Amino acid sequence: MAANPKDIPVPSIEELFRPTHDERARQNMVSMIRKHAIIDLRKAMKDDYFNRVEPKLERDGGKPEDWAAIEKSMEHEASYRFYSSMRYNAQEMCYLSVQPTVERALPEMIDLARDLVARKPVGGSLRLNPALQIPKYITSLDVHLAPGWVHAEYTADDVAQGAVVSFGGKVFSGQHPYRKKPGAVGESISYWLRKKYPDFKPRRILDMGTTAGKNLFPYCDAYPQAEAYGIDVGAPVLRYGYAVAQHEGYPVHFSQQDAESTDFPDGHFDLIVSSFFFHEVSLKATRKILRECKRLLAPGGVMVHMELPDEASVSAYENFFWNWDTLNNNEPWYTSYRAQDPVSLCIEAGFEREQSFKMHVPDILTFGPEKHEKFMRGEIESPAHGSGGWFVFGARKTS
Amino acid sequence: MTEQATSVQLPRHTKGKRPYFFDDPAMDQMMTFLLELTTEVGVLRDRLDTVERLLDQHGSVTRAAIEGFQASQQLEDERNAWRAAYLKRVFRMHNAD
Repeated sequence: MAANPKDIPVPSIEELFRPTHDERARQNMVSMIRKHAIIDLRKAMKDDYFNRVEPKLERDGGKPEDWAAIEKSMEHEASYRFYSSMRYNAQEMCYLSVQPTVERALPEMIDLARDLVARKPVGGSLRLNPALQIPKYITSLDVHLAPGWVHAEYTADDVAQGAVVSFGGKVFSGQHPYRKKPGAVGESISYWLRKKYPDFKPRRILDMGTTAGKNLFPYCDAYPQAEAYGIDVGAPVLRYGYAVAQHEGYPVHFSQQDAESTDFPDGHFDLIVSSFFFHEVSLKATRKILRECKRLLAPGGVMVHMELPDEASVSAYENFFWNWDTLNNNEPWYTSYRAQDPVSLCIEAGFEREQSFKMHVPDILTFGPEKHEKFMRGEIESPAHGSGGWFVFGARKTS
Repeated sequence: MTEQATSVQLPRHTKGKRPYFFDDPAMDQMMTFLLELTTEVGVLRDRLDTVERLLDQHGSVTRAAIEGFQASQQLEDERNAWRAAYLKRVFRMHNAD
């Protein structure tokens, strides 16, 4: 019998990230500043709007009716300005605070990744395509204010952006009450899928825009019989993700591909997933990618994409809050993506209306299995996106 | 042997238009200075706390001991409580009129 991949000792690329005393202190401080902005100042801004700004405008007969009007009413208010300024700076500092540690570790990280790609101790594969045209919506600006985002390469066999995005992400969510650990999205959705479709046994799973695979690994645990595939346009995150997967015992097949048009055969996958993905690509690309999902799914297959709640699903104030990232976090497609109805997007891509859905799924790490059972029985609702729930949309392809 | 990754310098600036939240862009720049300085005070505070703990335990301290100091989860929780309270004090907002 073959050894369980998880029992095969493989050195950890993440352990090569060794901050000095002061770098660690700085990373921890930035996590708290980020939390102060996204939790405390976000609440202060909301209270300011509903307790002061809106009532005043209402008295003057001009209560804002949509998110753009709310934004206009808030942009000169101190609560908005300081919230925005702190959020923007904290976002930059997430990546700035890890870059020196990554620079120091980089030669060792590259050596380890090269060795693991050559040896494949737990299997899987890494397929890169240096000729791939990286979409302009990725290269024209640095998404999430991360210099170099997922794709920039600074030396041969580079893994730097894999480490910067992964560790920067840990600083980003370090003190967030509803982001307990990397992979929380994959863990929550795979948990829900197993409850919803107990007999569903996918043979192959595809994660689109996988970055370093953190939200794919929980599906490997949920469906150990399945082959797991992750695609992304960025080579450094894939090399890094392959090394992490080897250490954690996941024989994942990573490949550098554009989700708009992949080289997998028709009907190759039973489950297609993505997390925080579509709002980062152009609307034209979103439509193409959903058609590609339709092509890639086998009859009876399911796709579940974790995304931001669409405009129609939340209040005007929430729309104002979410759309902030469009111009202020270098996510130019955010507002236009959220203006679409995800179910309509599925139908346009060829899925049946009755088989398409949008909903909130509880974050399993903060919600817990007991409440989850009540949620599955329809007795309680899931918390909203950003407050302990994850918004998802998708469809099942009929046989 | 392939090319060695030696002294890669990652870019510290982001590609894309920077938004300004205040009427005078100098104020946005000042906020960056202030948040960086706030962070550095937190870093110094951690370092001082580490020195005090090493002195309590061993009666002496070396730079190597500071670098080798591992904060327990309990200590990290204490430090996070300090960080949260510190930020609350520093970023005390005025009441809006």
